[in-house]
Amino acid sequence: MSPHDLLIRPSAPEPIYRQIMEQLRRLIASNQLPAGESLPSVRDVAGHHAINPMTVSRAYGLLEMEGLLERQRGKGMVVAASHRRAQTNDRRLEQLEPWLQDIARKSRELGLADRLVLERLRQLLEKDK
Amino acid sequence: MTLLAEPIAQAESPLHCEEIVKRFNGDTVLSRITLSIAPGSILGLVGRNGAGKTTLIRILLGLLVPDSGVASVLGDPSLAMTDASKTRLGYVPQQPEALGWMRVGAMLDFVGSFYPRWDRQYVADSLLRWNIAPAQPLATLSLGERQRVALIRALATRPELLVMDEPAAALDPVARRDLLRELALRAGESGTTVLFSTHIVSDLERVASHVACLHRNRLVMNAAVDELKERHALLHLNAEVAARVPAKLAGELSRRRRSDGGLSLLLVRDAGADWPLVSQQSGAQMEVLDLEDLFIELTA
Repeated sequence: MSPHDLLIRPSAPEPIYRQIMEQLRRLIASNQLPAGESLPSVRDVAGHHAINPMTVSRAYGLLEMEGLLERQRGKGMVVAASHRRAQTNDRRLEQLEPWLQDIARKSRELGLADRLVLERLRQLLEKDK
Repeated sequence: MTLLAEPIAQAESPLHCEEIVKRFNGDTVLSRITLSIAPGSILGLVGRNGAGKTTLIRILLGLLVPDSGVASVLGDPSLAMTDASKTRLGYVPQQPEALGWMRVGAMLDFVGSFYPRWDRQYVADSLLRWNIAPAQPLATLSLGERQRVALIRALATRPELLVMDEPAAALDPVARRDLLRELALRAGESGTTVLFSTHIVSDLERVASHVACLHRNRLVMNAAVDELKERHALLHLNAEVAARVPAKLAGELSRRRRSDGGLSLLLVRDAGADWPLVSQQSGAQMEVLDLEDLFIELTA
């Protein structure tokens, strides 16, 4: 993986450390970043995007605490071997939480009946099966 | 006020001031400003034109005497800095002094001779990267080039504390990004503490760890950048919901009546706390703010 693969938008509403965390979570969940894969160093990410290195370490550190990343001697941060196990249903659902809350709030704002929203969501979920 | 960060012990802060008051011709320019910068942090100082940013920077560095209050730099009183501390400080003023008769290379060699940690390699690399010929007389440089030379001069001293007044104002986007990268890496690797004032909020969002905002002679905000984004939002209410909200909601910082009879409220919440329940009702809409919007809301 290269620092280039991360998309950083400084003026987005989410803080930069969250942008990094979400992208890495997704890349790991979809196995685009398989277990054992090295992550770019904090310095490389900070240098490439001209962002504060503490922001990058914070994102890496939090993902390490979640069990998605682990520190390996000589290789720096790598995707944790046990991340599949660490990814319980609850954990994965948690990743969707901001979007689900967003949908719930927006449908209330629009005054939509719950069943219409749920029905449409079911259609979308079943489409690709 | 909830927006102001916990004070940092003065002894640990490379740049600190307390209760600074400054008046010019009877007008108050700074009113009781207290500010501390944590070692290794990058503080962005924002505020509208005339908010007092340059005045505050000059007082912090002992270049201007406040009417009352005290400031310190690297442990010395700002008005009595030792020569040893001066070699650990890099300062880039808004309008770098000209020294127009000298050539770029000669000026940098001359200045470098006063600094024990002068980095000749950094000077050579930066001049090359920023396309400035050492033989060029300073008087012939454009504004942007002069600012670049001033930045090279300050950064080549490997300062422990770097203070810059609008460093990016005359830089093109590429040079600006170069500068931000240098600042970010210096803070991360050498523990350099940085204070810079700016109008360009996206610069600040990239590299700053903290942000302070001067408004109407006062410090209205001083907090970690990540926290600011997560803790503030704008709540829009339509007229019907607006009629039912209390005179002041929990965490309300400002309230604006809209032309349609609705309300827009700027809210702050504690880290990890929820927004007030009214935000869940239909007719209520939350808008997450980026820093630029937040400043406009706070200072408009």
